[in-house]
Amino acid sequence: MSETIEKAKIKEAVKRRKLETYTPVKPEVQLGFVHNNVDCIGCRACEIACKDKNGLAPGPRFRRVQYIEGGTYPNVYVYKVNMSCNHCAEPACLPTCPTGAIFKRKQDGIVDIDSTLCIGCRRCEAACPFGAPQFDPVDNLVKKCNLCVDEIEAGRKPYCVMACMMRVLDIGPIEEIWDAELETPAIGPEEKVVRQVKNMANIELTKPSIGFVPHSKGRVK
Amino acid sequence: MSSKNRYEFLNERLNLSRRSFLKTTAVGSAVLTAGGLVELKTAKQARAFAYEPYPKDDQLQTVVTSCAHNCGSRHMLVAHKWKDVVVRLSTDDGRYQRDGYFGKDDRVEPQLRACLRGRSYRQRLYSAERLLYPMLRVGERGEGRFKRVSWDEALDFVVEKMNHIKNTYGPTALLDQSYAGASFGVLHKSDQIEGLLARFLGMFSCRTSSWSVPSYQGTTASSRWTFGQTEDGNEDDAFAYCKLLIMWGWNPAYTFHGGNTFMYMRKAKQNGCKFVVVDPQYTDSAAAYDAWWIPIRPNTDAAMLAGMAHYIFTNNLQDQDFINRFCQGMDAGTMPVWAQQQGMENFKDYILGKYDGEPKTPEWAARICGVAAEDIKKLADMYANTKPAALKASWAAGRNAYGEQYNRMAAAVQTMTGNVGKLGGSAEGVGKVWHAEAVAYPYDQYSNIWFASIKSDRWAHCVLNYPNVKREEIGLWQRDDATDGQIPNIKGIFWQGSDWFNQLTNINKEIAAIKKLELVVCMDSTITPSGLWADVLLPVATHFERHDVALPWYKGHYYIHRPKVIQPMGESKTDFQIFTELAYRISPVFGRDFNPKASRDYWHIDDNVDETYLRDWWNNRVMPHQGVDMSWEEFKQRGVYKFKFPRPLVAFQDQIEKGIPFKTPSGKIEILSSQLALIKDWKKTMYGYEIPAIPKWIEPWESLISPKTAKFPFHLISPHPRWRTHSIFNNCGWLRETYEQEVTLNASDAKRLGIKQGDIVEVWNDRGRVVVPVYVTERCMPSVAVLHEGVWMDLDENGVDRAGNPDFLTLDEPSPAGAFAYNTVLCNIAKTDLEHRPGWDKLATSRAHVFRRDL
Repeated sequence: MSETIEKAKIKEAVKRRKLETYTPVKPEVQLGFVHNNVDCIGCRACEIACKDKNGLAPGPRFRRVQYIEGGTYPNVYVYKVNMSCNHCAEPACLPTCPTGAIFKRKQDGIVDIDSTLCIGCRRCEAACPFGAPQFDPVDNLVKKCNLCVDEIEAGRKPYCVMACMMRVLDIGPIEEIWDAELETPAIGPEEKVVRQVKNMANIELTKPSIGFVPHSKGRVK
Repeated sequence: MSSKNRYEFLNERLNLSRRSFLKTTAVGSAVLTAGGLVELKTAKQARAFAYEPYPKDDQLQTVVTSCAHNCGSRHMLVAHKWKDVVVRLSTDDGRYQRDGYFGKDDRVEPQLRACLRGRSYRQRLYSAERLLYPMLRVGERGEGRFKRVSWDEALDFVVEKMNHIKNTYGPTALLDQSYAGASFGVLHKSDQIEGLLARFLGMFSCRTSSWSVPSYQGTTASSRWTFGQTEDGNEDDAFAYCKLLIMWGWNPAYTFHGGNTFMYMRKAKQNGCKFVVVDPQYTDSAAAYDAWWIPIRPNTDAAMLAGMAHYIFTNNLQDQDFINRFCQGMDAGTMPVWAQQQGMENFKDYILGKYDGEPKTPEWAARICGVAAEDIKKLADMYANTKPAALKASWAAGRNAYGEQYNRMAAAVQTMTGNVGKLGGSAEGVGKVWHAEAVAYPYDQYSNIWFASIKSDRWAHCVLNYPNVKREEIGLWQRDDATDGQIPNIKGIFWQGSDWFNQLTNINKEIAAIKKLELVVCMDSTITPSGLWADVLLPVATHFERHDVALPWYKGHYYIHRPKVIQPMGESKTDFQIFTELAYRISPVFGRDFNPKASRDYWHIDDNVDETYLRDWWNNRVMPHQGVDMSWEEFKQRGVYKFKFPRPLVAFQDQIEKGIPFKTPSGKIEILSSQLALIKDWKKTMYGYEIPAIPKWIEPWESLISPKTAKFPFHLISPHPRWRTHSIFNNCGWLRETYEQEVTLNASDAKRLGIKQGDIVEVWNDRGRVVVPVYVTERCMPSVAVLHEGVWMDLDENGVDRAGNPDFLTLDEPSPAGAFAYNTVLCNIAKTDLEHRPGWDKLATSRAHVFRRDL
């Protein structure tokens, strides 16, 4: 995080933000995540790798492995839905930011927050239907997954993906993921990818860049 | 497209506009040096990257190392450090091995990716619980009050007490409770039987050793009797070849037991393998492999296996040719002459009820184990008719009263279906096949000297009742001299890398016993619940702070170099340094003999000596014995060596394919154990009590079919948690926020008791009482409660454990073969107003929620 708050700079940013009309960024390639809901063992190595990478104290969790269970003994089912930030095509967080700290990168569609402009007002946190922006009370800032942009720049993959012991989490161009064309161990042979699973917020709200190999009980008709 | 090209292709896609990023980045001007450190500049201009100043991996020094604990694996950790601080950890990404590149990850050389525990290591390394200075107790024992002292004072205190105890009480007065917990490598090893502490106390001529291993003593005993060796497993890639995999009490999604087992099982699933889970819980393994769940009452596994054997025999589904060729005592035809002459029982006739008039039918088994007879038959049918099929008999079901009978019964069923020694089959109990060269420290005639050896969980019984203890009560190992049968007079305990006070059974009894001791020494990297009961705390450098090599021990085949990633923190020293200096303080000869490659300067500078030990180990053992052609220098530079095998390793393949005899007395698979059959005086064996020569169902002292359920209606099991390695990592906030210490209950039980998700309950029996929240689920069998082992005990003024450590409820009554009865526990449960204390600190975070979704 930034060590000092530069008030003049933030004021200038707010002024600029009020003058500008927001036009959605159309990325050259949109990167996104793919997660296999069935084969995931739910170990949360990805969560811990993320916390270590981002230096977070207990509390904010950029990546969240959600356990979903149902049925009645002994006919039960369990699957996992693993989400961080979905780097949406139409991010709901972005237009809510009063200082313009949130931006979407043209080259790969990554949505990020400029921490030097964030004032910790938490509007984005409320706007996101997926719970991606997380308030860090230690730094008094909102933070979130930036797809390990430094690793992407270095030609590697995010920490969560490289942590996955079952190789069920991956990234790639999202169109390839949705078509199950991406060559990745996350998608097994004959498996199809869906954009929406049960009990997940309506994807029409923000058009999230994520695909899932769904559990039979998690399919949306 | 090969995967290598694929990554280059992806790199291009992912690096679409590196230039535009650098325009706004503050550290774009930083000079990169290959593998070296760079100065980070703090810039004042606008920063697009979210948390700048932010040291990126390529600006930091990269050091390959590994995790170090006894979880069954030891995966790679890659430290990214700035000066002497580990900034973050990553793991194997394929780059570090010979001919590696980013993303390389195949069947022969898979990436050794660390689990969530390993990834959280910085939290343990830099935790508030780190021991940084020697400490001496100032309050009552167990009160937890210590003062900081110099190393001189601490070591002199220990030496003086050791001398006094040995001179006063004799050579059995110091109890070795070392364990592979916090300190495991080829050089700095805390091993239960032959580690550094064993060598130290043995050479001091005062040592009672603890022989039974908490994790798997039933299993090792069974495999030694049945197959003649404990290496009964397949390497993890062999799992990809199964057509049917029965996970009997096995939950690899929690234990990460070795290399990449769970990932190879996923390959099996993609190849059409069917999975079955026999377990009181619908585990995450059951979910991930889409398994048929057979809920079973805890501690009744041998009965269900007997029911399966009955079905297989009566339907003539056994592999009779295999039995005739390889077995002893499976049926009347395979009984040896000496056994026939003595009228001994064979396994088949026992199963058919010829001896006791009780055929072990699926219906008979169903009444005991709670699994419908139809399901037992169906599973037996599947297992006998699918080739190859793996019955993976886990350790958990063996951690029981008569746990060895379950393991023996499983081995019999594995054998009768001809699944031993075959790719895709399994003879697994212990589960190991490949062996590392495990010892770089001095290994000679002093390695395992002992003057008494007892069952590990009977020490408190021995201390409390001395001298009125019978040898069979403590499982006293036989000796060949006049001291055979002498009860040890234990007056002191050493803990090296072990938290046994928190981890052995019946803690309240241990608390009574420890008050009778005169010396309790704890050597560890952090304070532990055991440490609170010590007289002296000696700070041990973690494996990040000393030079060593990591070895896998369950599955996986590789070595990982562990350099001194950072300098030892505070005044901590390696355990090898501490023992060497203690030995020198006792006598210079002892010091020299204990650590022959070192002088007394080792206390101050250990680098050259450790390097010599490790280099000699590599050059004289690893390279010649294991066909390794990588030099020690290259290994150090790369950080990892991965063995490549032409085919997956399968235990007993040579015995089956080439007719090499098994290592048993008869050279056969001994369903009738020659060793057990010939024992006349059980009291003089370390078992103490009779063990049948063939596998049998023996009713445990506590279970759901016991009349004791009137008072204690729940059967408590305490499996390994995912968020700790036993008790290690319990102090890490990141891990405690992912999972909570809680007791799992079936929804119908919770409803009857008026308990909702998240309510706090007391769990108790005659031995103790603990307080925990409840996780209400349909994933658990009714009348079963699940409470994970290893949470750091936290007693209140009434002796109630507020943390929820199940070992306040377990019984310190081991099975004859030495298996700990961790899972043989009845208890009761009720709602309480008492507060639960999940850790010694408080976290301002909620648990990771489980979302209940209806159909």
